[in-house]
Amino acid sequence: MRKQLCLGFGAALAILAAVATAGANGRYIWPMPAWMPPPPVPAGNPMSAEKVDLGRHLFYDARLSRDGTVACASCHEQARAFSDGRELAVGIGQTIGIRNAPALANAGYVPQLTWANPHLTTLEAQALVPLFGEDPVEMGSNGREADIFAALAADPYYTDAFASAFPDRPVIDLFTVTRALAAFQRSLISLDSPYDRFKYGGDADAMTPAALRGERLFFDHRFECYHCHGGILFTDSQQTARNPAPMLGNHNNGLYNIGGTGAYPARATGLYEFTGLAADMGRFRTPSLRNVAVTAPYFHDGSAASLREVLDHYAAGGRTISDGPHAGIGAANPFKDGILVGFDASDAEINDLIAFLESLTDEGFLTNPAYSDPWPADHPARATRMMP
Amino acid sequence: MKSAYFAAFLAATAVPALAEQPVTLNFVAEIGGAAFDCSQSYDHLGATHAQMNVTDFRLFVQDAALIRADGSQQPITLTANDWQHENVTLLDFENGAGHCAGTGNAPMNTVITGEVPEGDYIGVSLTLGVPFALNHIDPTLASAPLNTTGMFWTWQNGFRFLRIDFAPAGGTPMAHEGHGGHSDHGNASGWYLHLGSTQCAAASQTEAPSACVFPNRTTASFTSFDPATQVIVVDPAPVLRDADVTVNAPDTSPGCMSFPGDADCDSVIPKLGLAYGDHPAEAQQLFSIR
Ligand SMILES: [Cu+2]
Repeated sequence: MRKQLCLGFGAALAILAAVATAGANGRYIWPMPAWMPPPPVPAGNPMSAEKVDLGRHLFYDARLSRDGTVACASCHEQARAFSDGRELAVGIGQTIGIRNAPALANAGYVPQLTWANPHLTTLEAQALVPLFGEDPVEMGSNGREADIFAALAADPYYTDAFASAFPDRPVIDLFTVTRALAAFQRSLISLDSPYDRFKYGGDADAMTPAALRGERLFFDHRFECYHCHGGILFTDSQQTARNPAPMLGNHNNGLYNIGGTGAYPARATGLYEFTGLAADMGRFRTPSLRNVAVTAPYFHDGSAASLREVLDHYAAGGRTISDGPHAGIGAANPFKDGILVGFDASDAEINDLIAFLESLTDEGFLTNPAYSDPWPADHPARATRMMP
Repeated sequence: MKSAYFAAFLAATAVPALAEQPVTLNFVAEIGGAAFDCSQSYDHLGATHAQMNVTDFRLFVQDAALIRADGSQQPITLTANDWQHENVTLLDFENGAGHCAGTGNAPMNTVITGEVPEGDYIGVSLTLGVPFALNHIDPTLASAPLNTTGMFWTWQNGFRFLRIDFAPAGGTPMAHEGHGGHSDHGNASGWYLHLGSTQCAAASQTEAPSACVFPNRTTASFTSFDPATQVIVVDPAPVLRDADVTVNAPDTSPGCMSFPGDADCDSVIPKLGLAYGDHPAEAQQLFSIR
C-alpha cells in the first residue's frame, strides 16, 4: 500500500513518505505538501486510504458501463493529466459527446464541476452524469445498475474492498460506488511541477530561463492571464477546505458570437443553460492550468488544438469565425468578459509564455503508481475497455 | 406486531367520520389508440405519419386527488410501496422486453393506490411531475421509486417527469435537418419526449435550488370519473400530432427534452398543457379517461 510520490524538495518528504496511507489512527493523510490546504470533503464521505483504493479500481473498471467498454479512465487518461486528447468525449457505441473531457488533476478543489453546471457541486453528484446520462450517452448505465452491482459483487476484490472502505455500510450500491469514485478523484493532487519546485521548493534551477521570462509575462498587465488563471491552481474557480465559500469563475471568453447576437452554439451555452440569464451566455468555468501542456485540445468544446492557438485567441481578444453556422466575431461578443481586450505579443514572447505553461507539468503526477490502472491486462475490468 | 395491534386499536376506536375507503386509479398506456406493447411498432405518428417503435414509457404522477361534487379536492393518501413515496407515484408501462430492452426493466406499474376519507367523489385530478421537495434530493440515497436510474436527470439536478422514447421502426436512421457545424449533435438514434424542470440553478453554490424558471408540472382534471369502472389513458400520439418525429432540429437534444429553444418542442410542450417559448399552453392531451 505504501506509495511514494517523487516530490523534489525536502520539506515535503516527511509528509510524502506516508502518501495515500492511513495515519496511525486511521486518518487519511493527503498526498500534498504542508503549505497546501486540502480540498473540501463532504461530511458524508470522509477520506480513507481504503476508499481511495476502491475508487481507483472503480475508476478503471469498464464494467460500470452498459456494454463493458467505457470506464472513467476511457476519457480520463493519467498520462494526459486525466484528460483524453479528443475534442469531444466519446461514450459507448462511439457516441460523440458535447464537451471536452476535463482534466482531473486537483479535481477536489473544483467547486462547480463539468464546464459550467451549478448543480454539480460535488464529485459524488458529478459521477452520476457519465454513469447515467443519456444526452449524450457516456457509460449508458441507466436502468442497468442492478446487473452492474451484481457483476462487481462477483469479483473477489470488491467483496473485501467495499467492506473495508465502508465498514458501516458494506453494500455495493449507488451511494458507495459514487462515494468511492469521488474519494479517488479527490486524492488526485498535482503540486510538484518545475514551477512548484522553483517557487516553493527552493530549487533555483527548476525552471528554464524561457519559463521564467514567460512567468513574468503571465503575471503582466499586458496579458492579464492571472486575472482568471490565478492562485495556486491557476484558476478563479476553486475552493479549499479553508475557504468558507467557493470562488466561482465563469467567463465568456469570446469564442463565439453567432450572428453578432452574442449567442453560442445551442448545445453549449455555458451557465446560460441553467440560469436563462442573458449575461450568462457563453460563460464557462475557468480550467486550472496545472498540466495544461498535456491536456490539448482546449476550451469546453476542444476547439483550440494547441497552446499557441489558445494564445492567438486571447491576443485577438476573441475568435472570428468567418463562415458556416457559427460565423461571428467573438471579440465583439456583448457578454464577453471585459478583461479580454487582446494584446500584441512577439513570437518570442508567445514562446516564453508557452515555456511557462509547460513548467506547470507535473511529471510525477502523470506517472504516479498510486493513480495508475490497478487491473491486469486480461482482467474483465479492462479486457474490453476502450482507451483514448 | 405490537405497533400493528396499536394501529388496529386506534382504527377500531376512531370516530366513524374518519373512516377511510381504498381507492385504485387504473392507467392504460396507448399509442394512437392502440394498446402499448414494447414488441409492437406504431404507424401514423406525428405530422409525417411515421412508423416508430417505442423504447421506453414511464412517468411520475404527483398529488393524485379525487374531486367532490362541490369541486373541492381530496388528496389520495398513497400506499407506501416500491412505486409510491409520499405523494408521488411512478407509472411504468414498459417491461424491458422487445424494443424496451435498452433502458427498460421487467417490473411494471399501472396503478395509483391509496385511500381517501369515505365520501362521495365524482372526479379525479393528477399532476405529471415530481414534487419540488423531492425533485432535488440526493438520488443515491433516495428510496423507491426515486432510485429509478432510468428516470434520473442528474445534469439538471432532478428527475424526468415523463419519458417516452421513440426509435424509427425497421432501423431507419434519424434524419437531420441541415448541418450544425463543429458541435453538431449528429448521432441522434431516436426521438425522445422528456419532460422535467429546467433552469433550477441555486442562488448560491451550497444550496439546493429554491425554484425553477420552468417547473414544467402539468395537471389534468376530469370532473366525471369513476375509479371502479373507468381507466385513465396515457397516449403521447395526440401530443406529437404536429411534430415531425423523424428529424431532430440541428444542435438540439434528440427529440424534445424540455430545454428552451428546441424547435422540436414548439408544437409538443403546449399540448402537455404548458407554455413553451412564445407558444402558449393548450389543453393537455396526454391524459384522457375512458
Ligand atoms: Cu432527455
